[in-house]
Amino acid sequence: MSVDSARETLYHRGEADMVATIQNTDVKQEDAHGAVVVAVTSRALFGGDDDDDVSGVGVAFPLLQALQRVNQRLLEKDPAESLLFDVVLITTDSQQQQQSSRIVSSTRHHGLEVSRFCFSSQEDFIESLLTNNVQLFLSTDRNEALQASQQGVLSALLDRQGAPSEQLRVMLCGDAVVRPDAGPAPVSRPAAESFSSRLGEMRRRFGALDSPLSIVLVTSSGDRESCGVALRTLRSRGLGVDEAYCLAGAPRSPILSLLRPHFLLGDGVIGLED
Amino acid sequence: ASGKETLLCLPETEQSTQRLLRFSLKPENAITIGVSARVLFNMEKEQHIYEQQGMEEYIKYQVEHETQPFSPGPAFSFVKALEAVNTRLRELYPDSEELFDVVLMTNNHAYVGLRLINTINHHELFIERFCMTGGNSPIGYLKAYHTNLYLSADPVKVREALEEGIAAATMFTPEKMTEVSETQLRVAFDGDAVLFSDESERIYKAHGLDKFFEHEKAHENKLLDHGPLKGFLEALGKLQKKFYAKGQRMDCPIRTYLVTARSAASSGTRALKTLRSWGLEIDEALFLAGAPKGPMLEKIRPHIFFDDQLFHVEGAAEMGTVACHVPYGIAQRVIKRETHDKETSSAPK
Repeated sequence: MSVDSARETLYHRGEADMVATIQNTDVKQEDAHGAVVVAVTSRALFGGDDDDDVSGVGVAFPLLQALQRVNQRLLEKDPAESLLFDVVLITTDSQQQQQSSRIVSSTRHHGLEVSRFCFSSQEDFIESLLTNNVQLFLSTDRNEALQASQQGVLSALLDRQGAPSEQLRVMLCGDAVVRPDAGPAPVSRPAAESFSSRLGEMRRRFGALDSPLSIVLVTSSGDRESCGVALRTLRSRGLGVDEAYCLAGAPRSPILSLLRPHFLLGDGVIGLED
Repeated sequence: ASGKETLLCLPETEQSTQRLLRFSLKPENAITIGVSARVLFNMEKEQHIYEQQGMEEYIKYQVEHETQPFSPGPAFSFVKALEAVNTRLRELYPDSEELFDVVLMTNNHAYVGLRLINTINHHELFIERFCMTGGNSPIGYLKAYHTNLYLSADPVKVREALEEGIAAATMFTPEKMTEVSETQLRVAFDGDAVLFSDESERIYKAHGLDKFFEHEKAHENKLLDHGPLKGFLEALGKLQKKFYAKGQRMDCPIRTYLVTARSAASSGTRALKTLRSWGLEIDEALFLAGAPKGPMLEKIRPHIFFDDQLFHVEGAAEMGTVACHVPYGIAQRVIKRETHDKETSSAPK
């Protein structure tokens, strides 16, 4: 598929001509209702050392591999499975946009299954997210993630980590404290709830052992009761937790290298090292 | 859907705030004791289900019985005694973080988590920190939080911990539970290969008890090297001194015992001199000269007893003492039984 020619015959054209989404016809397009759409930025995926023809991989690479592994295992269980991860790559960086064909070919080179490539400006990228029904947006840029979160899209930061795990490890932060004078619930709350429920459903396809994904709950400052409440609440949202760590004030950093999450979900946008 | 305002929230009850305020924020100041679920609570029935029917049935059973608290396990009275010491320490030193900090360190899945939390609530234990690793090894977490002592029913994990330099022991469930003090923590240690290295034990294994006594007498002024539980004794001693400093030596809620096959007449001196040179006190030293430890322990009634030899651990457990095996040193490599005058005891829990 030639991306340049595909750009001529756009799948979707945004008003300002600045938003474009191209389907990757090499990859099976997931059923819109079944799939869990995850968007990752090019900056996060291609941050490594570049070859002449191909971009080097960055922080998001192990994550995408882990997502793919989950899909593989789901399809092994049921070839007709529709609850799969559907990966969308978002490019907002103008430099990278000029190299759109390089982005597509690099993706293929690294064996990544990206179903759609979105090119949009920094101003309009949230529109891309919404149009593509993105359920989780992952970026290495905190501002980008915050912006998306404020517009109701569940977002998380991808941080540099140590040895990534093969198993997809999603960490949930259980520390939101209810205070009477708190503001309204975060805008991304409904998105978080719905994502939790889909993720939980996906997790339930596998047994307790040998699962390609693990849900890890960490409460940093709350006591055991708050961890219990978190477990119950998540369960009521359809998400079972595999591992739970109640730190009750102990610092989180000593165990981050053991927990090895791919990303951390919480109210708002939280970095792993925060 | 649930009506709660946030995804994850902390109920700000007075109780929970109080618990947290008392809680150590710097793990390195506290004496951290990691206990597994199976030693803290009685999970025999569930363990049986796991062994006979597998993980899925085990989890299903646990979730179905989530509101049913487990009954106490062998480490329970030990943990209660630790809390009693903490209460006394807080009275004397309200701002100090030098307290016992009990962490539940289990590789259970968090599916079992609510039942464990409900049980902790039911028994009113002061355990706020836990790691439920969902099948992964807990050893890294032990290290990360400066664990001073790890107790588990699983000898494999205990060995791993020892290899990483963490004091650890495999806890057995006694056949009957002797009543122990609720106000004074009593900890009993074997000497060789527990407090001390196994260097002398090697002599004993190679040449027998008499040669061992001779050798020790000859070398009584040469310090023994330290063993895996020396650090824990040291930590206990540090807390004891805090009571002495406030004039509470006679009423100290911590008491330590050395229960050793060494003989007072010959080999005991080397042990005592070594302890003294380390600046460690032990409240009572019992030199049994090779006699069985069970009866003596039954009199002492420690909350916990550490020994490197299964024979002693089993013997103690038979007589109602919570005994822990420290799988360290030469005793672990001896496959054939020694020619003791003892009957083979039945395997403990």
